[in-house]
Amino acid sequence: MVIVTDVYQKILGAGASPQVLLVLGGLTMALVMALVMAACAIVFTWMERKVAGFMQSRYGPMRVGHWHGVAQPVADMLKILQKEDIIPAEADKFFFRVAPLIIFLGSLLAWAAIPFAPGFVAADLDLGLFYIFAVSGLAVIGILMAGWASNNKWALYGAARGAAQIVSYEIPIALAAIPVVMYTGSLNMNDIVHAQQGGVAGWFLLRNPFLFLAFLIYFICSIAEVNRTPFDLPETESELVAGYHTEYTGMRFAFFFLAEYANLFLVSCIATAVFLGGWQNPVPGVNVAPGLVFVVKATVLVFLQMWMRWTLPRLRVDQLMYVCWKVMIPLSLVCVVGAGIWMMVLGQLAH
Amino acid sequence: MAQYFADIFHTVSSVLQGMGITLKHFVRKPVTLQYPDERWVLPERFRGFVHNNIIRCNACLGCAKACPVSCIYIETEGKGKDRYMTRWAVDFNKCIWCGFCVDPCPTNAISMSHDYDHSLYDRRRLVYEYVPPDKPVPCHREKRLEMGYFVEEKSAGEGAEQPKPRAKPAPDPAPAAPPAPAPESPPAGADRKGEDQ
Repeated sequence: MVIVTDVYQKILGAGASPQVLLVLGGLTMALVMALVMAACAIVFTWMERKVAGFMQSRYGPMRVGHWHGVAQPVADMLKILQKEDIIPAEADKFFFRVAPLIIFLGSLLAWAAIPFAPGFVAADLDLGLFYIFAVSGLAVIGILMAGWASNNKWALYGAARGAAQIVSYEIPIALAAIPVVMYTGSLNMNDIVHAQQGGVAGWFLLRNPFLFLAFLIYFICSIAEVNRTPFDLPETESELVAGYHTEYTGMRFAFFFLAEYANLFLVSCIATAVFLGGWQNPVPGVNVAPGLVFVVKATVLVFLQMWMRWTLPRLRVDQLMYVCWKVMIPLSLVCVVGAGIWMMVLGQLAH
Repeated sequence: MAQYFADIFHTVSSVLQGMGITLKHFVRKPVTLQYPDERWVLPERFRGFVHNNIIRCNACLGCAKACPVSCIYIETEGKGKDRYMTRWAVDFNKCIWCGFCVDPCPTNAISMSHDYDHSLYDRRRLVYEYVPPDKPVPCHREKRLEMGYFVEEKSAGEGAEQPKPRAKPAPDPAPAAPPAPAPESPPAGADRKGEDQ
């Protein structure tokens, strides 16, 4: 954000007060992050359809846009903008309208603390990691609003299950990130990335077997956080019975989808920053733009999530809860304790 | 307790196994045929749209009688040597592509082509007329030779001779490629490939 405020300072001259610069910088970065979210939706919906296609021995979109259907998301976007906006007669109109915005907000806020490149963070918070986990919980409010305001009992069931899932899986996610904080000594995302210098060997993933386990737990639980298969019962209930976004049409529905694909990339970005070295170059000699390194690493994780989606069957809601409370939480507690002991024994305490 | 860890191990290993299978599929060439650009090579006996080589047809009505859904419409006028066929049409709204019409034909005029993808905007254009309304086709062989149509030898190949009108039927009229008298291709005639008009 410093870069942005510097630019504004040059535009406005020396007389601009720091508060104005801050506000302008903040607004610009929010706009940039919203554009990043839209770009995610475009790129990753295409990627999802192609990956799904090839894994099912077929091609996916091929005709729209001449090369393997690259303009397909644009066509979909144009189509969805033309759809009729239906609000059920007995629905709670205010909450019905507001719910997609809150879900979108929960995603947008978390983008503020992601370090894309050295110096390129929207908000250099000292509480960065903690802030991200905290605002991810806003989506729960939006989901419950959507399910309730739809005036549809099946939507309410789906929303209740979705809320339970998200709230439950936040615990192992936070616990799995604690060993990293123990190593770094700080919750600041920039510090976490800086602490992973030295190519691949510096990644937190590989420094400690308990951290490897922590990465796996983090990754799996973050898939559950964003409601992706195999944990997507709240939203595929819409294919089976009804889910919390059944009654939504057109652009409102598109907001849910935008938030889903943005979340997909968001959790991959967080995992990259925290466990895979963020924008640190994996190969020390080669000179590559750090932003590109970051995006490539996050995209590999996105591919991993898509790969899991098109391989695994969906978990039933009781299986989902069992996995969270009886497998993920104990294992993440083991990670925390084990990582601590490992660090103490090997003298790697954070400085 | 041991069951708990066995379950976890089993879960993880089966997930990895499944992901290996999908990865294998991911890197293979997909089995899809990209339709308008690539098409199947059809077997020789493939039953596509019915095609009538009208200059061989002698209006014996064999195909019309054999058709299970009566989709072949033939109208003739006159008798004997002056018999003319004024209409020979196939109604593809009804045709079931069974191929029964091909067997009874004594002159091998009717056959099933390898076309399968004609598409149109109007159902009425699916009735394919093979005889132009102003030029009825003579049915009798001698009449054809007199009029300059000529009858292809049943077993001969293609040639490029001009029509040779004669007073008496020649023992071996020269076989040739479809001539000018063959109807200017009827609106939805033989060898187009799926083009709308």
